[in-house]
Amino acid sequence: MKKFLWVFLIILLLVFCANGNVMAQKQVLRIYTAFDTEEAKYYIDAFEEETGIDVQWVRLSSGEVLARIEAESSNPQASVWHAGSNTSHINAASKGLLEPYKPNIDFDLPELLHADDWAWTGFYTGAIGFITNTNFLEENNVEAPTSWDDLLNPIFKENVALAYPYTSGTAYTTFATLVQMWGMENALDWWEEFDRHSVFQYTQSGTACIGMVGLGEIAVGIAFSHDIIAKGINTGYPVVMTFPEDGTGYEVGGLSLIKGGPEPELGKQFINWCYSVEAQNLFQQYSRLPVNPKATVAEGSVTLDDVSLIEYDHILAGESKDDWVGAWRDRIGK
Amino acid sequence: MLFLDKEQQGLPYFLVVLRFMNNDRNRQIHEITGQLRLIWKEPILFLLILLIFYFLFTFVVFPIFQVVKNSVYIGGKWDFSNYVAIFSKRYFIQPFFNSIILGIYTATLGSIAGFIFAYALTRTSLPFKNFFRTTATFPIISPPFIVALAAILLFGRAGSFTPWVKSIIGNYSIYGLSGLVLVETIAYSPTAFLVLYGVLEAIDPSLEEASMDLGASWGKVFTTVTLPLATPGIASAWLLVFIQSMADFGNPMVISGNYRVLSVQAYLQITGMYDLPRGSTLAMLLLLPTITAFFLQKYWVSRKSYVTVTGKPTGATIKNLEWYIKLPIYSACIIYAGIVLLFYGTIVYGSFQTLWGVNPTLTLKNYVEMFEVGKDYLYHSVLLSSIATPVTGIVGIFISFLIIRKNFIGRGLMEFISMLTFAVPGTVVGIGYILAFNQKTVLMPVVLTGTAWIIIILLIFRDMPVGIRSGIAALQQIDPAIEEASTDLGADSNTTFRKITLPMIAPAFFSGLAFGFVKAMTAISAIIFVVSGRWNLITVAILGFVDNTQYARAAAMSIILIIIILVALGLIQLFVNRVGKGVRMTTIIE
Repeated sequence: MKKFLWVFLIILLLVFCANGNVMAQKQVLRIYTAFDTEEAKYYIDAFEEETGIDVQWVRLSSGEVLARIEAESSNPQASVWHAGSNTSHINAASKGLLEPYKPNIDFDLPELLHADDWAWTGFYTGAIGFITNTNFLEENNVEAPTSWDDLLNPIFKENVALAYPYTSGTAYTTFATLVQMWGMENALDWWEEFDRHSVFQYTQSGTACIGMVGLGEIAVGIAFSHDIIAKGINTGYPVVMTFPEDGTGYEVGGLSLIKGGPEPELGKQFINWCYSVEAQNLFQQYSRLPVNPKATVAEGSVTLDDVSLIEYDHILAGESKDDWVGAWRDRIGK
Repeated sequence: MLFLDKEQQGLPYFLVVLRFMNNDRNRQIHEITGQLRLIWKEPILFLLILLIFYFLFTFVVFPIFQVVKNSVYIGGKWDFSNYVAIFSKRYFIQPFFNSIILGIYTATLGSIAGFIFAYALTRTSLPFKNFFRTTATFPIISPPFIVALAAILLFGRAGSFTPWVKSIIGNYSIYGLSGLVLVETIAYSPTAFLVLYGVLEAIDPSLEEASMDLGASWGKVFTTVTLPLATPGIASAWLLVFIQSMADFGNPMVISGNYRVLSVQAYLQITGMYDLPRGSTLAMLLLLPTITAFFLQKYWVSRKSYVTVTGKPTGATIKNLEWYIKLPIYSACIIYAGIVLLFYGTIVYGSFQTLWGVNPTLTLKNYVEMFEVGKDYLYHSVLLSSIATPVTGIVGIFISFLIIRKNFIGRGLMEFISMLTFAVPGTVVGIGYILAFNQKTVLMPVVLTGTAWIIIILLIFRDMPVGIRSGIAALQQIDPAIEEASTDLGADSNTTFRKITLPMIAPAFFSGLAFGFVKAMTAISAIIFVVSGRWNLITVAILGFVDNTQYARAAAMSIILIIIILVALGLIQLFVNRVGKGVRMTTIIE
């Protein structure tokens, strides 16, 4: 028993020393990223290699990042919030959790791609689309949906999945698109029918439906084009991507500096790097659309010019999120 | 529940004393002087009790208190609007009932499965016992959501077994209550098994033999001897599985479909809506059934006496049972083992597939890629869990000893608090930890967030109920007279605990230790909030893969995790076998 305790104490001491040493040695940049592990590593490794700056990062969903930044606001642990739908960044900015910073870039960032006070900035985009299992289409001899009302087709009865609008930026963007396109009442009426007839289940994460469609669990999913390409088509699932011709919304991937975070200068350096041609070119790997006009767009990708976009107001959507989601939950009851 | 200010930490002990004084003066004063004499006689024990209370208050009550405060104390004043909202909205309150129904099903089925296995392994001549013991405990050593994934691949709409099952039972959906019950029963019955196995092993078979020799049938022996003796164990098992099922969030995340459960809804409210107050409020609803279950169990258990270790040597022989008793027990074991093997076989097979569910070409690339991305996570998981586990075991067994054997004011409070982390969903504990330890407080004068310590501490206190429960179940089987004899011969509490109690409950200690390590390695829901860039864990990475529908890679990483856990369990088992020689009950008494 005593030996056991001694061994334990020694281990504790070692951990403590190891911890202390690393902290004393070198400046590190701490990042919360909402990209999934592998993708985040792809970009951050490139940054580390190029600048020699040591980056420590944690992968969390946007919601978790926000909850965490909020909880840590009296002693922020990270300097940069990397990726995640800009709606969450807008929400964080309205809570005063972000430090405005205008990145040092040599091109014009469209007004819709940044906050007025530069509390957050957008560094990639992607449109909302449908992903459909091709085996299902062949078996049932139907075409992939190309409008929102196509989703109400009886053939897709209990065969559509997407995330809850209150858990996923993807699903919220979908709902906000409909609200902005048709008005709140019409959007809710449509969704009520959609919910009753077509929805098989709601998922937590916006990308979960891609795998479900790929595996043939369901016929149709609703997700962002870059996720559909990177996680559906490029993975090798038998799927096809279509867009609603009557109009669709799009997301802006947000990037922001956390207020009071450690090493803000390194954070700014990272943000600037994210807009460089080199960094924006890396998006080809995951089919995201770069915002830097000089960057190369991935082959097979759909640019925002190719689909019928609505005039999607991100700031309105971000600021109305609590109200709109509340209205959705009151009507749909989930 | 009374929550005290930071400065008053050491005080509940005396507050309770003061309240007692007003009641029945003479008797109470007598008791108090008795207590004070105890403090005088055993100052170390007294200090240890105070220390344990400090840790329990700081790392269990304080974070939860922060969450409670967030649910009712908004912008500097009391505000119950969150509770009003939750009770008035169907979509908030429905998950509450869903969770309870799920918990009852899972706990009942899980306890039955665990009991059958434990009975078959301790009371029958079941062949290949080691194989069945391994199978029964296997689900415990993987992250739970992997079981749910296997269920989807086997029984989902496009599952390998779906056409076959459909031809038997007609149309069905694995997403929802039935799928959840199936998956959680598989994931959590090992908990019941571990508890019940320890209990049945500790019940002296000679009692049953005596009953049988006197002419009782197997059924009579089982219902009048075995079952009553095992009752506290069954109650503990049921309670543990019920709470685990209520708080589980990995499986519902993957397979609940539109059957919404409370733990996930609380999590979503916090992570999806950034609504800390309302998420905390939902989580508070989870405590209600848990506390009820806890007191019910205490009342039920405390009415009976379960002492079976009498100090007389045991001749543990197993009577040959009739075929009509053996057949159903054996068949149940074989079927259940078959299901478990099928589930895990699917995961192993899937981890070698190029694209899970679509392209079945076998490949090693998942392992190669997984290792490139995940080797740091792997190392951190092993390191931090190895540090947390022994502490969990030691403190857990010590608390269970205090609760069962020592009579001190605040004992019930200690038991209650130590169960608390288990009852609260991990997400809320995680958020509570950030809220509580992100700043310097009187309780904890160092900032813990971002360090390895917060992860270690969280692991220790999340897993502690397991150590305590197995300790309690084991201690209830040992006659206090054996310890009293030691005390009468002049040993103090400390010596008695070390020389008498500890060796007798060593098997329970190590089963608690083993389970603690496994829990630490597979923890996810609370841990996800306290990991940092410097210290990140493998389960967080696996969840990332699952989230991203990279099932094959998630499976590969889970397999690696399972292998590491198996190696560690093997080492602990070796150690138990070595210790086991010296501590057989009969050896001590002779």
